[in-house]
Amino acid sequence: MVNIEDLKSEARRVLKGGKVKYIIGYERASETWKANPIFLRTPEAVDKLVWDPTCFHNLVRFVVDEKRRKAKEKQPDTRPVGIVAKGCDSRAIIVLLQEKFIERMDVYIIGVSCESTGVIDERKLAKKTAGKTVRKVEFGEKQNYIVTTEDGTMDIPAAEIMADRCLECIANIPVVSDHLLGDKTKRAVARPFQSVEKLESLSQEDKWKFWTDQMKKCIRCYACRSACPMCYCDECVVDTINFAVTADTTAEEKAQRIKWLEKSPVDSENIFYHLVRAIHLAGRCIDCGECERACPVNIPLRMLNKKMEKEAKELFGYDVGFDADQPALISCFRDGDPEDFIR
Amino acid sequence: MDKILAKKDFPEWLKKLKAYRVYAPRKQDDVWNYEPVSGPDNVQLADVMTAVPAKKIVFPQREYFFEFRETDDNGTKLTELLPEDNPVVVFGVRPCEGKAVTLTDKVFSGEFEDPYYWKRRNATTLVGLACVNPPSPNCFCTSVNGSPHSKEGLDILLTDLGETFYAEALTKKGEKLIHEGQKLFKDPKPEDKKKAEKIQVEAEKKVRRKLNRIENVPLKLKGMFDSPLWDEESMSCIRCGICTYLCPTCHCFDMNDEVETTTPLQGKRVRTWDTCQFPDFTMHSSGHNPRPEKSSRLRQRINHKFQYFVEIWQNYQCTGCGRCISLCPVGIDIIKVVEKVRDYGS
Repeated sequence: MVNIEDLKSEARRVLKGGKVKYIIGYERASETWKANPIFLRTPEAVDKLVWDPTCFHNLVRFVVDEKRRKAKEKQPDTRPVGIVAKGCDSRAIIVLLQEKFIERMDVYIIGVSCESTGVIDERKLAKKTAGKTVRKVEFGEKQNYIVTTEDGTMDIPAAEIMADRCLECIANIPVVSDHLLGDKTKRAVARPFQSVEKLESLSQEDKWKFWTDQMKKCIRCYACRSACPMCYCDECVVDTINFAVTADTTAEEKAQRIKWLEKSPVDSENIFYHLVRAIHLAGRCIDCGECERACPVNIPLRMLNKKMEKEAKELFGYDVGFDADQPALISCFRDGDPEDFIR
Repeated sequence: MDKILAKKDFPEWLKKLKAYRVYAPRKQDDVWNYEPVSGPDNVQLADVMTAVPAKKIVFPQREYFFEFRETDDNGTKLTELLPEDNPVVVFGVRPCEGKAVTLTDKVFSGEFEDPYYWKRRNATTLVGLACVNPPSPNCFCTSVNGSPHSKEGLDILLTDLGETFYAEALTKKGEKLIHEGQKLFKDPKPEDKKKAEKIQVEAEKKVRRKLNRIENVPLKLKGMFDSPLWDEESMSCIRCGICTYLCPTCHCFDMNDEVETTTPLQGKRVRTWDTCQFPDFTMHSSGHNPRPEKSSRLRQRINHKFQYFVEIWQNYQCTGCGRCISLCPVGIDIIKVVEKVRDYGS
């Protein structure tokens, strides 16, 4: 099991040595049983670090923020930022490296192995605890979680409340790291696309009905996009922020501003938004599941991305986020491609 | 007017409300939301917190203002599209949401009375359900001048007495709705009233979270516009719209022309929710963005709720429902942020 003291001592060591600007990790505030992101700047602050089954967040999201911040600094601090990364998070770093969005020296990765479990699904846990106030969730010794509620402790087999993405995880150990903690035994998952298979088995009509019903729930808060470390476009189609008007801009130019989609949460616009995101994540999504976890109305967004991942695997034998030197799926071709038009 | 309604008679009451479009909390995919009621037996009033607050009934996320259409003589025909005033009733409204509606009422009144809002608001009867147990672990209504049995903004307040509901009609609309139920409603005995009051007092004690000593926060915020606190507190913000879209008091909106055909030019002017958390919020057409960073956007949210609104309307623009805390993907906690403002520099 990952020893929290080992994690803290490594964090302290790199902060003391001034090796990193700050470390992005997890803390737990006193009022909640869930971990939250924390930014540690001093060795003293390291005491706040936690590692438990509620460390859901993909903190790579904040590496994207850091790059933006650095670009605005007049005299940028070029030291790397430290980051506590799970297996899935490390795969997100690989994709950012592959796409040359960041350099390897921009991050100091403290990898944590999820070993034989992973993080929990809050909604699954809520069903188990049936209204009781949760105080703490910890990793057990044998593929289980120890949940402390107001009424005492519960021992729950991991598979029962683990996040779906962890049940299908193909990288329980970080793929890239500067310091790796925890057991390094790889976990074998028999059917990594199990959850998509269920949806695939539906008829075309039923699939369409399923998705249109789900899309009706969308309130377009864009939490799915905002939680995603791969959604790093300077300007997203949903919010046009770079359209500047000067004294010389003509009415025609203003009128010709492209409006990709309406703000209205109606079927056509909701579906358009989610499909644009799914297509943009093809060959890039590493299945951290943050889009689905962040969604306040519980749309199974992970399924859209998982399907894309499956297509990439089946059609091109492409595994996302394992090799930073591999060309990105949608920016490469093979000489031996059976299609003429591609060559 | 106080009455008693047996729980078993509740579906009978619903059956009599044929003239109304009825909404109540419904659970779909593990999430509660106010949805149109499909049948009188499908409503279960309980201490639940919906994801989207009841504000969506009186202030929908999307509504039409008018239709525009190019005419044959190169003119434009505008047709106002006011909402229909068919009566609506919403069951299970939380007292914090009722109070929130009274705040939104202020915003859409005064110098510019908003006909679209008021048409819906006047047609809607809000049936509140006093909280016996806090519907969310992050409830803090008692810290922002509210309570689990606040009557503000509601037309009826129901209190769950076990086998019966204690029903208090608070407005004419509420009395009308109880009259629709005719003999289903009985006069309460003195002990019913005592029982309801006892439950209400007990409920207040169960509100776990507190935001104390905030009287000076509005004044303090005035001097903290350029504080580094906003950078620190917004570090983990991912700039989604959850905290504001799901806030029962947030009411910012955007207007857009949605073009349906270009020849002839035809379409609708549409109002949708907007949020200070999005990067293009109030961006000027010159390209100037008054709140370019997420720190300035978090500041806007806190300042609006705890300074600007207090200055204009003498009320916090927060009723303590806790949605923004519970649903924030990174756990930004408005109580913590306001406490930090309160304690800043001391």
